[in-house]
Amino acid sequence: MIQLKNLTKSYKTPKGRHFVLHDVSLTIPSDVSIGLIGRNGAGKSTLLRIIGGMDRPDNGRVITRQRISWPVGLASGFQGSMTGRENVKFVARLYASKAQLASKIAFVQEFAELGHYFDMPIKTYSSGMRSRLGFGLSMAFDFDYYLVDEVTAVGDAAFKQKSAALIQQKRQASQFIMVSHSLSEIKRFCDAGLLIGRNGVRYFDQVDHAIEAYQEEEHAHTA
Amino acid sequence: MRSGYQIMCATVHALLLRELKTRFGEYRLGYLWALLEPLAQLGLLLLIFGVFMHRVMPDISFAVFLVNGIVPYLLFGSITSRALSAVEANRGLFSYRPVRPIDALLARTLLEALIYSAVYLLLMMLLWLLGEPVRFDNLGALAASWLLLIVLSFGLGLVFMVAGHAFKTADKLLPLLMRPLYFVSGVMFSLHVIPSAYRWMLDWNPLLHAFELMRHAVCPSYPLYDISLGYLALWALVLLSLGLALYKGREAAMLST
Repeated sequence: MIQLKNLTKSYKTPKGRHFVLHDVSLTIPSDVSIGLIGRNGAGKSTLLRIIGGMDRPDNGRVITRQRISWPVGLASGFQGSMTGRENVKFVARLYASKAQLASKIAFVQEFAELGHYFDMPIKTYSSGMRSRLGFGLSMAFDFDYYLVDEVTAVGDAAFKQKSAALIQQKRQASQFIMVSHSLSEIKRFCDAGLLIGRNGVRYFDQVDHAIEAYQEEEHAHTA
Repeated sequence: MRSGYQIMCATVHALLLRELKTRFGEYRLGYLWALLEPLAQLGLLLLIFGVFMHRVMPDISFAVFLVNGIVPYLLFGSITSRALSAVEANRGLFSYRPVRPIDALLARTLLEALIYSAVYLLLMMLLWLLGEPVRFDNLGALAASWLLLIVLSFGLGLVFMVAGHAFKTADKLLPLLMRPLYFVSGVMFSLHVIPSAYRWMLDWNPLLHAFELMRHAVCPSYPLYDISLGYLALWALVLLSLGLALYKGREAAMLST
């Protein structure tokens, strides 16, 4: 269970404060994967980052005892001058015990399929290779919730397929909280939906209902 | 489940190895550079001041005098200087939840402390082998001054980290304010040469106390004038408490984008 209490997040702009989230309170039940749905700039990614503790709200708090991942495939924590293996080792030191270190590294090495690039500095990687490493790294650790911000859109067809299979496998024990521009992808991976709409944030037990509500809202707005 | 303390230890350990790797891992000779860099810097300074400005110091060889000013000052400077931009420099890492700004500063402090401790010991051994009058029978006092200097630097580093994040101008202002410190900390002069009527202008400075204490520790005949370990300890404690209090109040803000 993840409880959001009075979350408010705003940014300073030259034209005054811009509120991304305004006093959001809701409870996300256990054992459901959730898609965050909303137009560009609605605050989906911000909410995702706040749930994961990567960003802090101006007000309010997130209450949970669950283990939550960093955004899957995140590359901002990578150090370009270090090799893929060294970067993986660094994160493994943060999240795993010493005894597990070798197995975590082996998992990422096998999953990312980077060949000898695994032992080369990350700055020599293509963006595809980088995201393969990032995705494999996230999947090496067991979390209750994996946060996903537009990740399955990267990599070639074979890698995409492999990633999707791994996500489905992980879903037996863990949940996903996902931001994606592809509504079909959200439908495929998520049970419930969180609509970050023009009139506040609403939770839907059924992801289909959230998508319908989103489409209605956008239709009404453009009409 | 790991305790908070275990998580912090694991995080600082990981950050320390990461910093070591990033800074020196790419080079031929690798980690040796961690020592060679400050040694080269010091060698040059020692040569210039030791040979060309061979001044007479009270009961201490000039080289020993200099090493016990420059090395601890470089330690202090390297811990505090980059603390100002520590939050922005490590922003990418805060996506990993175990990593907090204080861990980054702590890792950096430990690394610099290790490097400069090794540099200091190497240089002192070298001077001893060269026949300079160095005494190692007061190691307790030497270690205490050195440790307190590290604590003091870490405390000030915390204050700087908070200030550097809260005020953009601190980035420019604080380094400017810090520069004169080099000249009033007794790196290049002994309190002995200052007339007693003017000592009050300098002896408030805890860095001066640290350096003079170290000199006295390795060379017992070197005179001390109103210098005390307690005073240094007080500064270290006050700066550490202030730094921790400010940090606690601002941690959430530092992690917010």
